[in-house]
Amino acid sequence: MIDVVQPPEVAGVYDEFLLDPLTPRPEYARLARTLAALEHTELASGVHAINAALIRRGVTFTVYSEAAGTERILPFDPIPRIFTYERWKHLADGVAQRVRALNAFLCDIYGAGRILRDGRIPREVVQSSSLYVPEMMGVRVANDIYIHVSGIDLIWDSNGAPYVLEDNVRSPSGISYVLENRDVLKRAFPRFFDGYHIQPVDDYPLRLLRTLRESAPQRAVNPTVIVLTPGVYNSAYYEHAMLARQMGVPLAEGRDLIVSDNVVFLKTTRGLERVDVIYRRIDDDFLDPLYFRADSSIGVVGLMNAYRAGNVTLANAIGTGVADDKALYRFVPDMIRFYLSEEPILHNVETLDCTQPKVRRHVIDHLERFVVKRTNGSGGYGMLIGPASTQSERNDFSRMIEADPRSYIAQPVVQLSSHPTLIGDALVPRRIDLRPFALYGKRIDVPPAALTRVALREGSLVVNSSQGGGSKDTWILAS
Amino acid sequence: MLSRFAESFYWLSRNVERAETIARVLDVTCTRTIDMYAGGSWAERSWRTALALGTLSDPQTTFVEEPAQTTVLQRCAFDTANPSSIASSLSIARANAIGVRAELSTEAWEHINELYLDVHAQTLATVTRDGPSRFLRRVRDRAQAIAGVSDATLLHVDGWNFLQLGRYFERGYLAARMLATMESMDDPWPEWQRLLEMCCASVPFARASTHQPSPRDAVAFILFDPTFPRSLHFCVNEIEAALHRISGTPFRSYGNDAEKQAGRLCAAFNFTDISDVFAEGLPVFLRRIVAALEELTFAIQTIYFPRIPTAIAPMMRSDVLIS
Repeated sequence: MIDVVQPPEVAGVYDEFLLDPLTPRPEYARLARTLAALEHTELASGVHAINAALIRRGVTFTVYSEAAGTERILPFDPIPRIFTYERWKHLADGVAQRVRALNAFLCDIYGAGRILRDGRIPREVVQSSSLYVPEMMGVRVANDIYIHVSGIDLIWDSNGAPYVLEDNVRSPSGISYVLENRDVLKRAFPRFFDGYHIQPVDDYPLRLLRTLRESAPQRAVNPTVIVLTPGVYNSAYYEHAMLARQMGVPLAEGRDLIVSDNVVFLKTTRGLERVDVIYRRIDDDFLDPLYFRADSSIGVVGLMNAYRAGNVTLANAIGTGVADDKALYRFVPDMIRFYLSEEPILHNVETLDCTQPKVRRHVIDHLERFVVKRTNGSGGYGMLIGPASTQSERNDFSRMIEADPRSYIAQPVVQLSSHPTLIGDALVPRRIDLRPFALYGKRIDVPPAALTRVALREGSLVVNSSQGGGSKDTWILAS
Repeated sequence: MLSRFAESFYWLSRNVERAETIARVLDVTCTRTIDMYAGGSWAERSWRTALALGTLSDPQTTFVEEPAQTTVLQRCAFDTANPSSIASSLSIARANAIGVRAELSTEAWEHINELYLDVHAQTLATVTRDGPSRFLRRVRDRAQAIAGVSDATLLHVDGWNFLQLGRYFERGYLAARMLATMESMDDPWPEWQRLLEMCCASVPFARASTHQPSPRDAVAFILFDPTFPRSLHFCVNEIEAALHRISGTPFRSYGNDAEKQAGRLCAAFNFTDISDVFAEGLPVFLRRIVAALEELTFAIQTIYFPRIPTAIAPMMRSDVLIS
């Protein structure tokens, strides 16, 4: 018998499952009853079967730091997270609004630059971003869409209020785990689903394909879409292969493409075949050695020329990264007001600008109270969690912030919400976040397929898979 | 399809076929040497044959003084420095499968992955504890399952055609190499029986025979039987058929060098019989066939997996005008 009655580990943490230490929230009541009727051994053997299935299927990511060829599965937690339709709808509306504003921002800064002239956002913050690509100035992208695919990370504070933690508008990964998690949970624990009406996630690839087709250059009547991967050694290769397979399009590497007369072609057994839309999972820096890193061996020579000539669509567009530079994060609510004339549906976490001398002093003097992030960092790397840091880590960050304040932001520590999670053979609270994905073709689409990441270490606030995080199936109830 | 995919499909199935064949050769050798007829030199010869077949593409073939089960199994099943070993073949097959993973069915991919994981979790010690046959038969059966599952789940278009091409190429090539290991037509019948078993031909041959079998009949069967799916005749016909399906060129004509060479190979089997082979001399005939097959694989690579440079001509940053 499995009880979900443990109190949250720290007083003042919002638990997603429990209303109070003994009562589940209404949407979890049925699941709590199912769990209560389950033996510990059933849960353990189900999880064992899931892990074996994931290894057999090769749902693995490569660990770079370890011996060559180390393949790991992302730890899967069998206790699902549940959203009521209303709660999800609010989030989805907020995510859609945010992505529309970020897209309008990119259109603006690579075009007329209204928001910069208006003084709402200082020009130097944009132009000093390492992710800003001046070669994109004046390039008209198809349908004015830059951010075809994005993932917006959300967290809940101690009052259960949602906040946007960060925007990911380059190549956010994780959707393959959403699809796999649902599939393995359905097979291993079909009874969990009894009495629930859950929106399916498995049409995500079709929705993505529609988005990509809608984004083709106008000339293309029946556009050829491909997925471009850095190759089999990339940690997200499994995801690239899964999406290409389910969309039914080729999974190409840079060496499979060639540019001639500013047109991109696939090298096939029947000669060269024209390409119209590239869903690229390669960073800007590596896309074209002519323009960006000359040492890139995974890119395509001349791709940028073809792109600038309007002969091919790249999803996402080149230069979108500036919109998720963390130094611009604090301006997103203003972007929403400026471009959409709306009030933000989802709020930002309070963010301190370290370029202001007074603010910087305050942050450095109280580092133990803050989370400090590199503005161009991602994946949980280059980050300081104040309360969990050592004096020497804080000293290092003080020095780094002083030396290069543009590259750091500070945020007060948010006590992420918790969710019962299987550790050993007990359910204990662990911190979680949520990554919904937005697709933006002719219109914006937020599929009911979101990734819940969970920090498996007790007390940890870092959910990234590279930092010991796992994931959960996430249920969006039907209305 | 992408040239890289075609190449991966081709090498994927060649290596699965190789793993299957090496597993069968080792299994036959292990089993037959247990109760081998008098005279130790026959057993040593069996192991020498198995070693030669299991190290075909190993540039570092070293002479083994007295080959026996332990050394040959280690070298041909588990030695990852030997590119023909079962473990290496499956590593190559899986690496190619990962490269075309988006083109494979779930079933095909999982069978390949499982077989690879199984073999790489074993060592000589673990498989000899239960008798190596159990392991070797599992490899053989699962490799065959990969072929079956691919046939049953993939679209029969280019990817599958390159799988067929690789499978029948490797099968025919290895059959020729196995025949070439026989030293004399006067060898005792058990030696020919061993050859038939290594070629998976023992029962089919018995079924097709109408009189007391002779070594000559065994050679004829492995070379020419048009209904035995492992005869060289059958394999070269399948190679030709796959090439024509890939290009769409009508039969009895050719559109490229590979088709021309495959057509000639087919003719060599369609319009030759066993008397012609012995008139020419079996070793000479086999050398000619192996050389033709090696030339054919080169032609296939040149036509379908060419090394196109990364850029057609020197390119500059664009002067495309941005309005």
